[in-house]
Amino acid sequence: MAFASRTRLINPRLGTYFGIFTAAIAALVIMAMMFEQLGASDAIVRFSMFAGPIGLYGVIGLGSRAREVADYFACGRRVPAFFNGLVLAVSALGGAGFLALTGSLLIVGFDAMCLSIGWCAGLVFMGVLFAPFVRKFGAYTIPTFLGRRFESRAVRVAAAGILGVPILLLIAAEARFAGYAAAWMMGQSERLMAAVVIACAAAIVLLGGMRALTWSSAAKAIVAILALAVSASIIAILVSNLPLPQMTHGNVVRVLTRMEVAQGVPLVLAPPLAFDLPGAGPEPLVKRFMQSFGSVGSLSFVLMSFVAAAGIAASPGLLSRVGTTPGVYEARKSLGWAVLVVGLVVLTLPAIAVYLRAMLLEQVASHPGDRLPLWFQLLQQAGIAKIEAKTEVVKLASISFERDATLFALPLAAGFPQVLVYLSLAGALAAALAALGSALMTIAAIVAEDVIHGLTSDTAVDTQRVTTARVALIGAAFVSIWLAIAVPADPLQLFVWSLTFAAASSFPVLLLAIWVERTNQWGALAAMVTGFVVTALAMLLAETGAIGMPSALAGAIGLPLALCAGFIASKLTPAPGRNALDLVSDMRVPGGETLYDREMRLLRLRSRAPG
Amino acid sequence: MIERNERKPYWRHTRTQMLTSLLPFVVAMIVLPLYADALNDKRILGVPLGYFLVCHGLAVIAFVTIAAFVNRQDAIDHWHGAHEDF
Repeated sequence: MAFASRTRLINPRLGTYFGIFTAAIAALVIMAMMFEQLGASDAIVRFSMFAGPIGLYGVIGLGSRAREVADYFACGRRVPAFFNGLVLAVSALGGAGFLALTGSLLIVGFDAMCLSIGWCAGLVFMGVLFAPFVRKFGAYTIPTFLGRRFESRAVRVAAAGILGVPILLLIAAEARFAGYAAAWMMGQSERLMAAVVIACAAAIVLLGGMRALTWSSAAKAIVAILALAVSASIIAILVSNLPLPQMTHGNVVRVLTRMEVAQGVPLVLAPPLAFDLPGAGPEPLVKRFMQSFGSVGSLSFVLMSFVAAAGIAASPGLLSRVGTTPGVYEARKSLGWAVLVVGLVVLTLPAIAVYLRAMLLEQVASHPGDRLPLWFQLLQQAGIAKIEAKTEVVKLASISFERDATLFALPLAAGFPQVLVYLSLAGALAAALAALGSALMTIAAIVAEDVIHGLTSDTAVDTQRVTTARVALIGAAFVSIWLAIAVPADPLQLFVWSLTFAAASSFPVLLLAIWVERTNQWGALAAMVTGFVVTALAMLLAETGAIGMPSALAGAIGLPLALCAGFIASKLTPAPGRNALDLVSDMRVPGGETLYDREMRLLRLRSRAPG
Repeated sequence: MIERNERKPYWRHTRTQMLTSLLPFVVAMIVLPLYADALNDKRILGVPLGYFLVCHGLAVIAFVTIAAFVNRQDAIDHWHGAHEDF
């Protein structure tokens, strides 16, 4: 039995390295501020804030080359719990969390919290239901895990095809978010910048695979969190003398509610199944911030929380990341860190939305339309904000705001130096790049390991497997560029669809694979296919208006039906064999060698044995 | 390494721990948002209570749930001899 030493595996200088990186980013921001004050052109400042961090991610990514399979697909299984949690959290949030959730909170207030609850709950579900067992198994991809668990190549290939759909939707969404942030920084078109950031994300992970992705994503997570914290903390200090926006924005909420009542913002009650999150363009602020179920109905709120939670918990890109930790205990702990980081972020985002909404109410609403503050006029010129009705006095409901611009509109509205606006954009770009890189790596690993080598040979030599993954990554990058340019839908909609597909097609089969020993390959196939087909049909019917439910909640129908289908199909067909039952039994116990590593070691020994 | 005859009790214990961790959290996920409006009349630390419970409360409950789970499950692993040997 081979046991690895945790202390030998983990690099003890990681904290120092990332401390140096954080200092470099702080130095870059301070230098850019100095250049700005010295009168350097805006183009130089914005280019340095765009290219500086990306250059550093590139240095980390290209410096983390990997030749061995375990390094390329699982970062050598030596990522400490804290760093894995940090990367998990920021990859889960991505541009959708940083840009779209902040904007949705500004526009529809409380109702957007169904997504933030989903993010927190999803990581809790992942930590309790899946992560320890997936780590003990140690497969590099989720289809490999399912194929091995059910001893079926058909399950493996079907899983590769079905789980590829949410990953591609996620890539399209995150590429658009990254393109949006990059376009604001560079002043170029969104599509062009989406193609550029996809190329950057792919180049960063090309040589080092999961190793490069992990360490570059840890750097991206630091930038994203720094960027989020700086503006919000400065405003928190101005408002309450404490740099804790998460704890001190409550007083502003009270004032905000009073002002909304005074200005006659109406109370709106949506039907239970309504689901009206703001779209990509400017959207009017028609609802009170604190009022619940005005845009998202009560039933939709609860269902969306669960669909988002199930989609995050069973997301193939996030779940395969737990394989990078040194052991099962570290995998569980990493989810604890991830929940802590996501919790802090989803407590900061409402603070940003509340501060900006209070500024709009105080300085724009109830003021004459021809005497608006300079910052609001700048936002109007940039197309971020609009005043719809031409009335003498501006009303809150007549203000429209672009959802994805909220994060960087706050430092602009507060009159902060332009560098802090670019820092906010760099943070959102970093989060979107982390999510994009993770999704690209996952789809490349699935194509290389489960489709190409999965159909031929499991004992291919390391160099072959790594080369195939690199070629698949380049192919995935080209497909992603096409997707980002060709798919016209709202990126938040694409993100929610990705969650709903993952919830219906990945969550039930993983639940059955781990928690129901009796499940066999027929049950797994039935669960995956039912979840996918039912969800796709429900989405199609919802989009055409044939059924009165939002397409985002299609997973709420697909998930329970997939569970039932998997359970019934397993009951009606022969029980799994002794090998499969032994595998399940071993997977449930944290101690002992990682199952996939053991299997690979035995396969190699067998292939080398004479005769 | 875990004994063969310890595997069933270990799994039973793990399953109970999973349910104990998730059920209260799932109930909070459903109940707190539904009663947020009604609770907003009361205040805690100057913040409307319903908003505070959904925004801050659920994040704190999520963290406490996962932290308690990691701690308890590790104790269960050691109790049954199923823990990793480092």
